[in-house]
Parts: sequence; C-alpha cells; structure tokens
Amino acid sequence: MKIFLAMALFALCLPATVHYLTVSGLGGEPDYELRFTALAADLDKLLKASPGEVAVHTLSGKQATKAQLTSIMALIAGAAKNDDSLVVLLIGHGSFDGHDYKFNLVGPDISAVELAALCDRVSASRQLVVNMTSSSGAAIPALQKKGRAVITATKSGTEKNATVFARYWVDALRDPAADTDKNDVISALEAFHFAVKKTTGFYETQKRIATEHAMLEDVGDGDAVRDPSPQNGQGLLAGAFPVLRLGASHQAVLDPAKQKLLARKEQIEQGIDKLKYEKAAMPLEEYRKQLTTLLLELARIQEELDK
Amino acid sequence: MRLPIAALVMAASLSAAGHEDCHRLLNSGKRAEARTCYQQLTLTRDPYLRAEGLWGLVLYKDANDQFRLAVDQAPKNPDYRVRWGRLFLERFNPDDAGKLFTEALAIKENHPGALLGLALVASDGFDAKAVELAEKALAADPKLVEAQELLASLALEDANPAKAAEQAHKALKISPQALDALAILASVEILADRPGDQWLARIASLNPSYARGHALIAHHLVINRRYKEAVDFYRRAIAADPNFWEARSKLGINLLRLGQDQEASQQLQMAFENGYADLPTKNTLRLIDKFKEMVTFKTENTVVKFDPKEAQLLRLYFEEELKKAIATYEKKYKVKLAGPVQLEVYSNHDDFAVRTLGLPGVGILGVAFGDVVAMDSPSGRRPGAFHWASTLWHELSHVFVLSATRHRVPRWFTEGLAVHEETAASPDWGDRLTPDMILAVRDKKLLPVADLDRGFIRPSYPGQVPVSYFQAGRICDYIAGRWGFDKLLGMMHSFAQRATTAEVIEQHLGMKPDQFDKQFFAWLENDVGKIAGAFDEWRKRARALAELAKAGKHDEVIQEGTQVRDLFPEYVEAANAYEFIVEAHLAKGDKPKAVQVLEHYSKVGGRSPEMLKKLATLQQQLGKPTDAAATLNRLNYIYPVNDEDLHRRLGDLWFSQGNIHGAIREYQALVAMNPQDKATAHYNLARAFVAAKQNDKAKIHVLEALETAKGYRPALQLLLQLHDGNTQETPQQKRK
Repeated sequence: MKIFLAMALFALCLPATVHYLTVSGLGGEPDYELRFTALAADLDKLLKASPGEVAVHTLSGKQATKAQLTSIMALIAGAAKNDDSLVVLLIGHGSFDGHDYKFNLVGPDISAVELAALCDRVSASRQLVVNMTSSSGAAIPALQKKGRAVITATKSGTEKNATVFARYWVDALRDPAADTDKNDVISALEAFHFAVKKTTGFYETQKRIATEHAMLEDVGDGDAVRDPSPQNGQGLLAGAFPVLRLGASHQAVLDPAKQKLLARKEQIEQGIDKLKYEKAAMPLEEYRKQLTTLLLELARIQEELDK
Repeated sequence: MRLPIAALVMAASLSAAGHEDCHRLLNSGKRAEARTCYQQLTLTRDPYLRAEGLWGLVLYKDANDQFRLAVDQAPKNPDYRVRWGRLFLERFNPDDAGKLFTEALAIKENHPGALLGLALVASDGFDAKAVELAEKALAADPKLVEAQELLASLALEDANPAKAAEQAHKALKISPQALDALAILASVEILADRPGDQWLARIASLNPSYARGHALIAHHLVINRRYKEAVDFYRRAIAADPNFWEARSKLGINLLRLGQDQEASQQLQMAFENGYADLPTKNTLRLIDKFKEMVTFKTENTVVKFDPKEAQLLRLYFEEELKKAIATYEKKYKVKLAGPVQLEVYSNHDDFAVRTLGLPGVGILGVAFGDVVAMDSPSGRRPGAFHWASTLWHELSHVFVLSATRHRVPRWFTEGLAVHEETAASPDWGDRLTPDMILAVRDKKLLPVADLDRGFIRPSYPGQVPVSYFQAGRICDYIAGRWGFDKLLGMMHSFAQRATTAEVIEQHLGMKPDQFDKQFFAWLENDVGKIAGAFDEWRKRARALAELAKAGKHDEVIQEGTQVRDLFPEYVEAANAYEFIVEAHLAKGDKPKAVQVLEHYSKVGGRSPEMLKKLATLQQQLGKPTDAAATLNRLNYIYPVNDEDLHRRLGDLWFSQGNIHGAIREYQALVAMNPQDKATAHYNLARAFVAAKQNDKAKIHVLEALETAKGYRPALQLLLQLHDGNTQETPQQKRK
C-alpha cells in the first residue's frame, strides 16, 4: 500500500507528457464504422481537454492504416522522454488465427508482435495499451512487458464477437463516478473496473451470454486477470496510471509552502490505510472512533490546503 | 437377482399366464403374489414377458432392455411398442413415450392402447387433445376402462364434476374394480366438501394398498389450489404404500408450497434416492438448496426472501409494497389473514418456474399457494418485460381470495379479480391489451363465463391462457363497474359456500350465465370492438410506419404514426408507434412534442425503461423536475435493478425537491447496488440523513464514503460539520 501511495503521489506530481494514440480500426460494416469512429472522436475530445501536458493522436476512417499507425508511433518515439507516459487505445475488430492476434486496419492488419515492437521503441517508462477489440485477449502475451499495463476486452482470442467494452471505457473517462477515490484522476485501474462493471451489466440486462471478459496484466510477466487485486499482484501499475485528469488539484502538490501540510496529510492517509487493514480485527465502534479521529484531522488539513 | 426356489419351480411350469394376471394381483392388493408372478415372467424366454416382469419388479433399466429386444424381434407388433411407451411415460420420458405410441399407430391404425398412451401424454401437459384422444381410444375399444377413467379425470380437471362422475360410473360399468374411477368419484365428493367415504371404502375393500387412488384425489385438490388437503391425501397414499415414491415427491412439492421446507426436503430426498428422479423432483431439490442461500427478512406480517445479490436493494421496494397491498386488501376484502405472507422473489426465472411445475394455467410471473407467494424478480426478466408491483398486487389478491374462500373458488374468478386489482392499484399497471386478446375478441374466441376455467386449464389454442386472464379480468371490471365492487365480494363468499359459477351469477347478478355472457360481450365490444375492427388495418399501417421511420421521413412519421397509434393506443410493445413519433419529434428538435407523446406512452402503460428514462431526461431539460421524478419513480416499480443512474437521478431530484424520505430510499438503493462510485453514494445518503436530522446515520455513511475515498473533499467537510454540529451545506456540497 505504501508503494502504491508513493506511486500515486509520483504520478500526480509528474510534469511529464502523456502521449496518447487512439486508433479506430476497420469497421467492415457501416454500423461498426460509424460506431468505432464516433468512439475514437469522443476519446480524442476528452483527452485533448485533459489538463496537463498531453499529446493526442487519433487515427480513424481511411487514415487507420498500418503505415499511418507506424508513422505516428515513430513520431511519439522521437518525442517521448523516459519520464513520459504512453497510452495506446485500440477500438475495432481483432482476429486470431490460433497463432497470431491481428488488429484489423484499412489495408494490411497489424499483429500484436508488430505493435509491441512499435511500443518498445518509445522510451516512455510507463505505458498502457488498451486493446478493446474482439479476440484482443490473444494479444496479451506479445504486448506484456515490465512497466506496461495491458488491458484487453476479451480473455482470449476465441472471444471473437464484436465487443461493447470500448463504449464503457469511453464512458469511464467522461463519468466522474469512475473516479472512485475522488482524487480527480481517473486511473487505468478505475477505468478498467468501471468498464468491466458496465460491460457485465450490459450482458446481464440484455439476458445475453457474455461473449467478452476483459482482462488486465500490468506485472509484465504474469497471467492476465479479470479482478486485479493485491492478492493476485495485478493492478498496481494500472492503479497509479492516470489516464485522464479531471481537475487541477495536483497543482497543490507543487506549492512549496504547503509541503509540511502535505507530509502530515500523507502520514494520516497512511494511518487510515493501516486502520482499514485492521478493521476486521477490532470492534466496529472502536474502528469508527479511530477512523473519525484520523479523518477529522485530515479534513482540517485539507481545509488548510484548500485555502 | 436371487429368486425363491418356489418361484423357480413355478417358472418351470409357467403357463401362458401373462402380465395381466400379475397386474390383476397387484391391483387387488396381493403384492407378494404379484411379485412372485412378476418374478416368474422374468424367467420366460419371451423378452416381452421378461420386460413386463422386470417392470413389475421395478427394475426399469432391465425392463427397458427387454422391451428393446422384444421390439427388435417383432417390429410389427404394436402392442410391444405401446407397453414400452407406457414404461417411458412412467419413467418421466413423455417424448419417447409419444414416439412409441405414434409408431404403434403407424403399424395399426386406431390402436386403442396407443391412442390412450397419447391421451395420457397430452393429459400430462394439460393439452386439449387429451380428451379427443381418450375418446378415440374408447371408440376403438369400448371396454378400455383406463380410457374411460382418464375421461373422468379430465372432466374433473376441467371443473365439470357432473361429467366426471358420469364418466367414472361408465368406467365402473365396464369394470367394477376400476379403482381410479372410484378415486374420481371420491374426488368429486371431496372437492364439494362432502365426505368421499363411500368411494374410499370401496377402494380399500378392493385394494387396501392402492396408493395411486389417494394420489389421484390429491392431484385434483392441487389443481383446485387446495394444497393443505392435497398434502393430507399424499400422506394417505404413503401410508397405503410407503414405497409409492411419486406420492413422496408430490408431497414434498406441495409441502414446499405451504412453506414447510424441511419436511418437503426430506420427502423429496427420499423419493429421489429411491429412483423417483423426475424433473420436478430434481429441480425442486435444487431449489431447496438455493433457499439456504436466500436472504430472509421478517416483519410481524411478512416474510420476504431474496437472492442475496439483490436482497438489500429489492427489500426497499418489495417490503413496503407488500405491506401496502396487505393493508389495502384487508380493508377492501374485509379479510384479516391468519398469519404472515411469505414472498419469494427469484432472480433466476428458471428457479421460479420450478415452483409452478405441473400446475396448469398459473401466471408465468408469479404464483400464490395460499400464504406463500413466489414471483420473478425484475432482474429475472428483460428490462421492461413486466411490472413487478403489478404482479405482486395480483398475487396478493389471490392470497386474500384463497384465504376468504378457503381455496374454494373457481380459477376464472380469482384470476379475474387479481387482474382487476392490477389496474385498480394504478391505471398504468397491469398487462396491456395484446394482439392475441384483440384477435380473440374479434374472432369471438372468448369462452362463456361458466366454461371459462377451461381456458386456463386446457387451452385449445396458443395464447388462450393469457386471453382467459384478460377475459376474466374484464368480467370483474364489468361487474365492479356496473354493480359495484361489493358485488364481487358477495360472489366471492358464495363461491366459498361451494356455489357454482352459474349459481353465483344468477344469485348475485340476477340473470342466467348465457344472459350475462351476452351483456358482457356487448360491453366488451363497446370497449375494444373499435380496436378489434381496425386490427388488420393497424397491423398493415404499423409495418409501413416502421419503413417510414427507417427512411427518416419525420413529418410523415409524425402524421401517420399518430393515426396508427390511435388505432390501437394500448400497443406499447416492440415497434410501437410512440417510439417512432418520439424519435421523429426529437430529430426535428421538438422536445415538448416528444415529451407529450412519451407522457401518453407512460400513461397507457408503456414500460420500456429506455423510453421512460428518455422521458425523465426531457422533462428535466424542459424544467419539469417534479414530473421527471414521478417518471423515474414509476420505473422503480418496473425495473429497479441494474440501474445505478436511475436511483442516483431520482435521489438527487427528490433531495432537491425536499422529498427527503424518498431521497433516502433512493440513495440507500444506490448504496445497496455496490455501485462503482461508492464514495458519492454514501456521501449523498449521508447528506439526506443530515436533512432528515438523523445525524448518527449520516455519520456512518460519511465515514463509509471516506473509507472508500479518503480525499473526498465534500465528505471531509460534512464530517467536520457533523463533528462541529453545523450541518449547513456549503455551496460546494450543494453542487455535489
């Protein structure tokens, strides 16, 4: 948990650039074409409106070719520093022939291995690939790497039906409810949880058998999971990976006059986290009493910070 | 298998004595002799006789093998196929049984046994063909007593005791030992609240261990919803023959209907372990296992069971509605229930369906067994597929009617009254007029009131069961409208005194049933005749309207759609005119007109959550927050599950309108859904508790909010305010 807090704070403090590349692939049918392009346009708008240093690239329609994708990735590779972040968002259809995953583009498709190679050339130390296509689960082995979180809409290459995950991923970035810890940042993990819940709800409500099961892998060499948690070791990087900032609260972190208060705040927050872990082993009333004490102090510090 | 020496000796000298002799011994209660007889059959060289013998010894699998061999050896023998089919029928496989009976008929046209077999298959499924097939079987063999007995039983199922008795007496003329005919005669008496001792004594004298007779009586009691008495007769069946596993299974199923879970489980388990593993037994045992997982909430007059994953959410709505319905009906029906009502709410429709297995004509959404009600959860169906509150009030009406009449009420009346209550509770509740109902009116397919039960028990065309619900409901609407609701109560009490429908109509409405039918049909014609008359035109123009909408011809859609809608205003199902008109108005940017159409849709009972949420959004956009809240609240009674947005929006609307009690419920619903944004859900609930001056509860929820998101500023502020005793909201909190 300590590591997580430190990483979260680190993420909040970063003045570095986030490089986004969104690609809506070949629709094949007018309905899909429209849907994919609209989702990419929504993402483009949301990401460009995000506060902080961002570089947003979007490919859709006829532009969504392998050559264009390669060219933009080369551009990002040229611009990105080690402290930067890379976010690749793929919308559309994918295919899996039992051996290779391919993202369907206008003209030649791109395989997961080729895509991984393009990402590897970007020196941004923290990377996120969100592959929201059908069969995307098959891309995990090729894409996974230390420092890179990989999210896919399906658990394997055999889930070949068109997915709805992308719709809810975009919803996550425009719904403040996705920011569950209320820190004004939607992390990759929060967006993942949001989209998974909505996708599950979609199939339940429609009384349809779920044909997609989103997965996350951010250790680099582990098995992708559906429910990242401290127990399975997945989700740490994604939890500290800001996909979208909602406000300018992180600016307070940069104010030297407030460093002492911030330090105390962090101390209390750690105390709260510790207390939460001890909750099961203590009477509820005692827990609430101690939690109240800590939270009241936190509230007062926050008041000071907000002044 | 080891056989007694005596049997072996007898087997050596086995004559042509066939399985009929063994059956005769069994039917006269000589079980030991019958067993020996069956054992002898197993030693013959004839695979058919061996099959009969093995069957008699309840060695079903071996019997099946021998039947197969017999049929292989004599493929042109229809009798073997018929008997094999009967084995399949006994062993819960009506499909294969039906195939064998059909094959037998292909070999020998009008084979009486095959026709009887098919009649039995049809009878199992309450198929209207059962009577016709049994009559054909009897025509093919006038001495076929079993067919005559079946006709008696079918007549009794069809609520025609006089005919049933007549048919049973005919069976007794064919064979004075016709045990099932005696059981039917006993059933006729018992259903009329007269002792059936005379007939029961005759059964006992012929065969004291004839358990099937008691089970048959129990079956007819179940059909008439008299579950407690049915349980007594199943017990008598078991007392007569403790190895009659079918009775144990059915005893278990009916005990469950009375809420006696533990003994139900024991009886079903015993039946199952002894090879009686038909679908109802297996599924009911599975259901009992699920009961253990269900969450139960008890109050002084209610016991409500939910699936744990939605218990906290649904409790907020169901418990309140259940209590409201009980209080309303107590006054309306002037009846006080003896004990609490048990309500089971199933999130999986298949689980609910287990509760209705083997019951004809019951609702597909809910069922009442007396004080026990089972129903689908809104999550068990597609969003908007049904109105759960309407179903709840429907079933509760049964609880009161069954209680007031001690379950002595014809099906049409209790169903009709329950349907009447749906729209009495709220005009937009209840099932809407469907094309099937319109066609039944137009094509004069409605039944005379005196025969209306037949439409529930043994439908003669697809869709007749819902049509019968509709007709029964409209009859009660008609009576309540013309003579007043108390007239219906009077009729209910007369039914309790065992009066027939004809007698009740005559006594309370002062006319013969056929006169009543004429007047009712005239009233109904006046009510829906115009829609029925224009039905074909509506259907044709509705299809064309969809094409216009697809082509994006908005003005034409509005003009034509309005006319199509007015031809059949109650049609709110798929591809209804309202949807097309609304989309056309919205495409033209005319939100007020879209709202008008949507409000009309909602008023006539439209249930699509998507449409209703659209209406609420537009109402909010047009500055009608009170209407928006009412629309969203209506949705709570249709589909309160899987929709965080509904509860969040309604909570916010009610909070801002000062309906704090309502806001608390909605925010509690949101919290119960384990929402994505737990912090905000708890924070909003805390705010509502503060507004209700329940600061202790507010503090718990603000802590919950901060436990999830410790940096959540508005919650931190509220915590400080609660601590400092100053709970005036800051502008930032108001914004949230």
